[in-house]
Amino acid sequence: MTQVHLVRAFIRTRTRGRRAPTWTDRYALIAGLALAVLSLGRLALVSVTSIARQAEPSRIGAGLALAGLGYAGFLALARAFGPVATSAADAAWLVLSPLPRRGVLGRPAAVLLLVALPGGAALGVALLAALGLPDDPAVRLITAVVLGVSAAAGGMATAVLAQSSQAWDAWLQGAIAGVLAAAVLAAVLGSGPGRHMLASVAGAPVSLGAALAASCAATAALLLRSAWGALERIPARALLASSTRAGHVAGASAALDPGILTWIAEDAHWRGRALRSRPWPAPLTRRAASGTAASPALALAWPDWRRLGRRPGRLSAVLASAALPALTAQAVGAASTAVLAAGALAAAVACTTGARRDGDDPSLARLFGIGLRPVLAARAVLPALLGGAWLTLALAGLGLAHGLPPGPWWLLGPAAAPALAAGALRMARRRPADHAMPVLDTPVGAMPTGPLLWAATGADLALLGCAPTLLALTGEPSGAHLAAQALCGAAALGGYLLRARR
Amino acid sequence: MTETTVTVTGLDVELGGVAVVQGIDLSVGRGEVVAVVGVNGAGKSTLLRCLAGLERPAAGELGVLDRPPADEPGFWRDVVLAADEPAWYPGLSVREHLELMHAVHPSPRLEVGAALDLFELRTRADAAPPTLSTGQRQRLSLAMALIRPSRLLLLDEPERGLDPAFRARLATILAGYAAGGGTVVMATHDLDLAGAAHARRVTLGGAA
Repeated sequence: MTQVHLVRAFIRTRTRGRRAPTWTDRYALIAGLALAVLSLGRLALVSVTSIARQAEPSRIGAGLALAGLGYAGFLALARAFGPVATSAADAAWLVLSPLPRRGVLGRPAAVLLLVALPGGAALGVALLAALGLPDDPAVRLITAVVLGVSAAAGGMATAVLAQSSQAWDAWLQGAIAGVLAAAVLAAVLGSGPGRHMLASVAGAPVSLGAALAASCAATAALLLRSAWGALERIPARALLASSTRAGHVAGASAALDPGILTWIAEDAHWRGRALRSRPWPAPLTRRAASGTAASPALALAWPDWRRLGRRPGRLSAVLASAALPALTAQAVGAASTAVLAAGALAAAVACTTGARRDGDDPSLARLFGIGLRPVLAARAVLPALLGGAWLTLALAGLGLAHGLPPGPWWLLGPAAAPALAAGALRMARRRPADHAMPVLDTPVGAMPTGPLLWAATGADLALLGCAPTLLALTGEPSGAHLAAQALCGAAALGGYLLRARR
Repeated sequence: MTETTVTVTGLDVELGGVAVVQGIDLSVGRGEVVAVVGVNGAGKSTLLRCLAGLERPAAGELGVLDRPPADEPGFWRDVVLAADEPAWYPGLSVREHLELMHAVHPSPRLEVGAALDLFELRTRADAAPPTLSTGQRQRLSLAMALIRPSRLLLLDEPERGLDPAFRARLATILAGYAAGGGTVVMATHDLDLAGAAHARRVTLGGAA
């Protein structure tokens, strides 16, 4: 440990030019921390004071399901990104050295704990929001926060243990699956058959909750202790891999280009996986007799279909996420247009990898020598199908959950599909954010226009093309809405294809 | 049809206000292999990018297959550029990448199986390209470039990452391509490769 301390002190003196922190540095640090605490504290206060004393039984299941999904996502992210990772320089020079590994990894481990604590507190408040505050608000709040923080810290510790042991990794995967299953169960129970059971959970005595929180905290403490011991045993290859990912993430964040993150996840998924080559579908291959290609553009679009078929879990997750708008509507009492729009566009974007790859690096596209418009038209089919199917399922789910007034809402899904495909393709082919664009002074602070425009590219066309559906969501669906949506969707896709340039 | 595939007259290229290529003249005939050699920074890759229509010259005339080079599908149906490693389609194997090229082009030069054997990729046919070694990925890039029909091959350091034995085979492949009526212009540092491919050597001295 002392050796690591000496090495870090040496690096610090060299990189900071031997300059000790001045009073200005300390003031800026303390002021920044105080500002962050005040802002987050105010947000927490508003969240806690807005919690109803008595939760509606119809909302408990959906609220618990959303909290469960959030926790499962937290665990899955921790597992995907390491979670223990160092800077690229530390990975190259300190991890591969005789220094005690726990000393090298102590700081990243502390950062993980600092991430887990507020995340756990938010999870606790979310649980409380779902269950309500029937009595003893202070005790219930403390119990929920302890429960959430214990769950988050324990989950993070399990992820650290999973980094050094296959057995723990299996446990972590089991825990994620279990939390997901519990979330689904809560959603099902909350939809009718088990509301009384959930209501009894919400009305459980404070002492029972406190006992549960105490046992969770004890388990989390044990897991944290084991994880601290496991830091010494994390293999270098796992650390180097997670540090490379962390380096990519840092680079993507610095360049404000989150698109890179999806390539990191994509490449990590396929790296080291054995594939089984399958022949191209006969209608897409060239006709031997005539010697002409059946449809080169369709053949070039086929990799997106094959990739989706090779990730059935991902496809299932995308389709299952169509239940989120209904869950959100049940939890908050009204349909969320933002969840619907974001979900449908995300589903469509999930299958535009070919367009993204060729947009980022057109080398392969040049080798194929096919015109852009036919290829884009062929590549629009899959995002239209998936985006349209997601929206159809989500609208049907909202109708069943009484999140929308009665009506054939689901018909708007297929009608909006072309617009979703156009937005997804535009998003997939957007250029990196231009950081040279001007910064606007707004009442809420400086706003860089480059990243804003980057973020809006794609979503703009999808929103424009889905305007009739968005309008219909403010009232009731009509034939006019449906016709307008069909026209608007087709116009959005047609216009995009006509204006497409390399 | 003219017998000259590439003509370059008085080519000047500036990058960021700095002249990287100055006063280059070049004529490459059909069925010829030309090896552009020179020290680092001499402008070899820039010349290839100009011939591919990806770099606009400051001055001079360029002609590729009787027309100015242009980054458009009609041009790429006749011309192949193999420079830096391309970004592979995720989720596709080595064989499927080659089959995709096969499906898109009506009259491929090679069958997929023959290409796997020729470029020694048979044992890695079911692997995803990112899992290959550097040399194997370079072989896949070259296989993608050579499986499809074309009239002009532009290769930027094709020897990158290849072992000596495969470099000799590559020279034979390129000589065979030229014997079939194709034209090759490659930037290279491997004079043995250039010699074995019976290439005419063109030396760039650098603008600065």
